[in-house]
Amino acid sequence: MTLSNLYAVMPIVITGCGALLVLLCGPLLRARANSTIAVAASAAAGLWAAFCAPSSAPALPGLAFTPLAQLLIPIFCLAAALTLLFSHGYNARRAISGEEYPATILFALFAMCVLPCATNLLILFLALESIAFAFYILVAIDLGRAESAEAGLKYLLMGAVAAAITAFGISLIFAGSGTLALSAATAASGNRAIISAGWGLVILGIAFKLSLVPAHLWTPDVYQGAPAPVAAFLSTSSKVAAAAFLLMLLSFAPPMPEMHVPLYVLSLLSMVIGNLAALLQKNIKRMLAYSSIAHMGYLALALLTGTKEGYAAVLLYGAIYTAMNLAAFGAIASLSSDEERSEIADYSGLGFSAPFRGAVLALSMLALAGIPPTAGFIGKFFIFYAAIRGGELTLAIIGIVSAAASAYFYLKVVVHLYMHRPQAASAKPVTAAESIALCCASLSIVVIGIFPAPLMRMVDLVLR
Amino acid sequence: MTFDFPILTLLIFLPLAGSLLLLAFRRSDAAARRTALCVSLAELILGSWVCLAAPFGSLPGAPAGFFLFEDAAWIGRFGIRYTVGMDGISLVLTLLTAFITVIAVLVSWSGIKERVPLYFALILAMETGIQGVFLGLDLFLFYLFWEVMLIPMFFLIGIWGHGRRIYSAVKFFLYTFIGSLLMLVAIISLYLMHGAQTGSYTFSLAELIHTTVPFGAGLWLYAAFLFAFAIKFPLFPLHTWLPDAHTDAPTAGSVILASLLLKTGAYALIRFGYPLFPEAAHAFTPVLYVTAVFGISYGAWIAFAQEDMKRLVAYSSVSHMGFVALGIAAWSPVALSGALIQMVNHGVTTGALFAIVGMLDERTHSREIASYGGIWGKVPVLSFFFLFFCMASAGLPGLNNFVGEFLVLAGTFRVSPMAAGGAFLGIVLTLVYTVRLVQEILFGKESGPLVLSDLSLREGGVLALLALAALYLGVHPGPVLELLKAPIALLTRTG
Repeated sequence: MTLSNLYAVMPIVITGCGALLVLLCGPLLRARANSTIAVAASAAAGLWAAFCAPSSAPALPGLAFTPLAQLLIPIFCLAAALTLLFSHGYNARRAISGEEYPATILFALFAMCVLPCATNLLILFLALESIAFAFYILVAIDLGRAESAEAGLKYLLMGAVAAAITAFGISLIFAGSGTLALSAATAASGNRAIISAGWGLVILGIAFKLSLVPAHLWTPDVYQGAPAPVAAFLSTSSKVAAAAFLLMLLSFAPPMPEMHVPLYVLSLLSMVIGNLAALLQKNIKRMLAYSSIAHMGYLALALLTGTKEGYAAVLLYGAIYTAMNLAAFGAIASLSSDEERSEIADYSGLGFSAPFRGAVLALSMLALAGIPPTAGFIGKFFIFYAAIRGGELTLAIIGIVSAAASAYFYLKVVVHLYMHRPQAASAKPVTAAESIALCCASLSIVVIGIFPAPLMRMVDLVLR
Repeated sequence: MTFDFPILTLLIFLPLAGSLLLLAFRRSDAAARRTALCVSLAELILGSWVCLAAPFGSLPGAPAGFFLFEDAAWIGRFGIRYTVGMDGISLVLTLLTAFITVIAVLVSWSGIKERVPLYFALILAMETGIQGVFLGLDLFLFYLFWEVMLIPMFFLIGIWGHGRRIYSAVKFFLYTFIGSLLMLVAIISLYLMHGAQTGSYTFSLAELIHTTVPFGAGLWLYAAFLFAFAIKFPLFPLHTWLPDAHTDAPTAGSVILASLLLKTGAYALIRFGYPLFPEAAHAFTPVLYVTAVFGISYGAWIAFAQEDMKRLVAYSSVSHMGFVALGIAAWSPVALSGALIQMVNHGVTTGALFAIVGMLDERTHSREIASYGGIWGKVPVLSFFFLFFCMASAGLPGLNNFVGEFLVLAGTFRVSPMAAGGAFLGIVLTLVYTVRLVQEILFGKESGPLVLSDLSLREGGVLALLALAALYLGVHPGPVLELLKAPIALLTRTG
């Protein structure tokens, strides 16, 4: 193994070592030190990945630092770092202590760093399941709340079934093509009937991870039960990882024709049912859960076009969605004191009594609704552009109409923040870590919204 | 002389800069008011300077008719450019925007007592959005500003409004948002169509005009554009957000809504709708005639039945904007210049009427027509202005609305006598509700003892400015028509 090989896998090494370090030395250190180490490790891994030259030659057996990895690892690292910054104050208020929390986040990040580097089906599947494994723990980590344990159990049971289905699908693809290489999943190699059956199962498994209707039922309960920072991490990075899994399995080639109908149905149902169900929610985390179902429906819409533009839209939207949801859940985490602010009505008047966090929450809502000049608009524009260009005009119009309806429930939060008389308990002062993280997230929303060109260039590099 | 710095960018973003500056004023309300006034005056001065000093010739590199033009790369991947340009139409509307914003700042001087810096920051942010719509020549950029306008107005209605303010704010937002999203689909489709034909993917209006759109597809695309514009306009039957939004908005909000936001719909139809899809627009002309004529009479009729003064003025807007739609539908030089000047006129008179209603509301906390009566003897100056603007709104010769309505009717009569006849009936109905308003409020019997004070210096100044504008446009509309002449000739030449 040469030095350059080591350089290429450094993000994986840094996050892995960071996790072990936190786990081993954690009991001796204070909570603050643990969080600092974890944030430093994720920042270092992200920066390393951002400035390391990608190459498709394998650095280790089964791992290569591809352009996709160079795009996604910094995004995952940013999400992990922000999650850790949000968690520190949140956990202190909620008496969630112990070094296992930052360590598990780093383990999840470790698996996320492996995923885009994978060059064969086994590593890819292992990375995906390791991410899920870390989240089974994280979702249930708030021992003081019954909902947290309930959510953890629900997520574990359904996740295990989905993992089994995905594994079966991948084994069928292996059986059909006789190779573990990523190109195995394209129709060109070998037995088409078996491969497409495998694809069907993989899509079902990934539909669970992306929470596409009808495999979405776990989402609202898990988001509601999980601690808010965990929900932030879960709703962003794990979804982007699942989308990346699909893209890698496709090797960026168009999906087989027989996959069109299932993807079409998944996308249609997710956009319509996600947005309609979100209209009825009173709990903000459940609302965001249904909204994420709808957003994943948009993602599936871009994916099913099978064009380069569609895949670029998927990656760009993944990055933008990460920023938007981190800002939303981060503001929720920061505004919650020892009781979580669960109902939307609990946010009444906070726009004025906690101006900074209120503004971030309002901004993230406007971004999720896709209103310019936020990044959310650029993301939606790209998705619908790719869909229309890819010939999915009907689905694009259905999606746009459902997106228009979605503005109602995002605005509801803004209305409560600014237009209702305050009746909610005022929030605890914002901590420095939370301010940094919220600034980071909201700045990316605004900057990407106004100058999206650099991010688009990065996405195009991946697909070249 | 030519401007050797990006003056259009300055025109668009100066208010935004002022708005961000205002957000820094946490505590001092008085300073926030003064800063807002200074920024809006600076914008007005800048606009007037452009009007006086602009080189009214064609500019190399700019589309025909545009004497100021700026172009810079923005999002290269999609061929999106930051393209802004000014021709006579844009200039007139830019000036109107700057003028009305000054008025809006002045009318909310004492009425707004809560969260003052944020309030003025939103008004200035609004101005940026509107100027951007009037100057943007790249469809993506235009769409961006078109949507950005919504946010400040949503907050203005929702935070400082009265009555069912939240309901009205959300209704206003959703109505316009749905319309504009469908327009976005149409914009993307047109972009792809043009790209497939010529190989150059661009959102530039000047290039998209040359797209060959198949007739059937053109109908759909134009329908999507028309739907978005008709909501803003508002054309019957898409007007139902307007009475609620106008009634529940704070005074300055109603003034900006009526005087400026409604104009963006008409402007966009003239600038984008007709030139991009001439054939489809022609096919839709009968629909536009019918809704315009019906809207004129319907708005006037419903206005007559209102008990709330603000609602009455709001419905009168529907009626007046019907004339604008009629002028656009006729698409002849005379009718179109009538429509454009009617846009300005409506901005001035209706803005003034909303300001007066706001002043009465500040004094008595009532907008019910029934609770007033016989105020002529008590507050003569206010009553004089009230009468003046009511007469202007009813189309009294010598005042501004007469000019617009006359030109529209004269222009339309040539093309479609039926429509002109129908619209004429609407004018009669306009007289009915105006006379009722004047009679019951100014001269009728006093329904209860009212304590009223006459206009303050600031209020008098605001109304005098508006009255001067109305009088000027009424007796000497020549210079404004002169500004509009060249761009209208260009628009109607091919159309």
